[in-house]
Amino acid sequence: MDLFQLEMKVNGEAVSVPVNPGLRLLDVLRDVLHLSGTKEGCGEGECGACSVIIDGELVDSCLVLAPQAHNREIITIEGISADGELDTLQSAFLEAGAVQCGYCTPGMILAAKVLLSKNPKPGRQDIARGIAGNLCRCTGYAKIIKAVELAAAGLQQKEGEAGV
Amino acid sequence: MKKHGYGIGSMWYGIGSTAATNPSGAFVDFLDDGTAIVLSGCAEIGQGSTTVLAQIAAETLGVDLEDVAVITADTGVTPDAGPSSASRQTYISGNAVRLAAEKAREQVVAKAAELLDLDPVDIRLRHGQVWYEAEPTGRTIKDIIAQCRGEGILTLGHGSFNPVTTNLDPATGQGTPYATYAFATQIAEVDVDTETGIVEVKKIVAAHDVGTAVNPQNVEGQIEGGCSMGIGYALLEEVAVKDGKIQNPGLSSYLIPTALDMPEIFPVIVEATEPSGPYGAKGVGEPALVPTAAAIANAVADALGIRLYDLPLTPERVVAEIKALDSLKPE
Ligand code: FES
Ligand code: FES
Repeated sequence: MDLFQLEMKVNGEAVSVPVNPGLRLLDVLRDVLHLSGTKEGCGEGECGACSVIIDGELVDSCLVLAPQAHNREIITIEGISADGELDTLQSAFLEAGAVQCGYCTPGMILAAKVLLSKNPKPGRQDIARGIAGNLCRCTGYAKIIKAVELAAAGLQQKEGEAGV
Repeated sequence: MKKHGYGIGSMWYGIGSTAATNPSGAFVDFLDDGTAIVLSGCAEIGQGSTTVLAQIAAETLGVDLEDVAVITADTGVTPDAGPSSASRQTYISGNAVRLAAEKAREQVVAKAAELLDLDPVDIRLRHGQVWYEAEPTGRTIKDIIAQCRGEGILTLGHGSFNPVTTNLDPATGQGTPYATYAFATQIAEVDVDTETGIVEVKKIVAAHDVGTAVNPQNVEGQIEGGCSMGIGYALLEEVAVKDGKIQNPGLSSYLIPTALDMPEIFPVIVEATEPSGPYGAKGVGEPALVPTAAAIANAVADALGIRLYDLPLTPERVVAEIKALDSLKPE
């Protein structure tokens, strides 16, 4: 089979790799680029463990064929913390105790990131809707929702301090 | 029409099975820098056991939590701790770690008593310091360990816990099947739509006797997670089997609760100290899920005046029962 020269931006860096065009973006991220933070749960678009951000939208990477990611900008869980500093959402998840087995966590954090980028002051119901495509078997979602509330408040405060 | 109801479910659950041997082992090593390593075969699967074991070791050794490293579930180096099942690890492995830490502590306390010319029973270890009753002595645990090293004394301990294995009386079925028991009561509030049959859980209050809550945030997390599994069991989850084949093997056909299916959960931690547990702790893993479906089914019965006997309470089942009852009513 002819390989496809996949060019995309992953976590801010330009990537160009020859791949089998039948691969899913999930496989490219995990097996070719070794970004194993993105998880595979169901492989059928139901659980959200494989969530990544593509051009600002939350997408199940198990449902994206590699060529569909061509020329797109991808953010994975590895890309949201800078210079060894945790992202506000990551710290909030730790503080709230929102991580149990952790399998859903990368997808949850990215789902929350997209939610907060669109709605910086979400109510409880908005948060539940924002993460409804991401299944968690461990936490009952209570502390995840709490973490997103904490992060939203933290981001508001940061913006206030920056005088934005 | 929406009908409103409340239901209650209560349970007790055995912790620390005594039907067969049920041991766990641990090693605790006090290192040269005054920090400690705990070795336990206990597999952390997200329930928080590694944190709990670190807390138990820190409390026993008199060091800060950050100064305890835990190595778990590595058959190359850790002693067997049995499975992470049956809500047993806090109770069983927690006891093993406590016993191992007590032994490591004894070495340090004995040497400190000798150096300070004090009675070992008056020595306390707190925050990495050696205390004489309520007064700091100015010596650190690290100093004492250095002294031990100079004399070739190891500051480590091993511990094993195995609740006494009992046998049930074959004639009467009576005996002591568990070392201790956890208790819980949950109350559910529901709305049932009589046209669509959809049951919406509005609120769950979940009160659990867990003995001492070693880590209250983890206990809450276990309770909240258990409630979500209980909601799934009550309303959504059913393995459909036909001719020995599972018909709904994926998450598109076997539904589990999403964030939108979850009501607010109010965990209530009841701390009734268990004398045989590590610092009074028992377990909470499975108990968290046990009473939820009963509470919800009772709430549905309260709302509709109809008792359903088959879980899950799917909209189809609820509507069918309402219709069946209506058909019995005189025109
Ligand atoms: S693995 Fe992609 S949605 Fe489950
Ligand atoms: S923490 Fe285990 S699935 Fe969410």
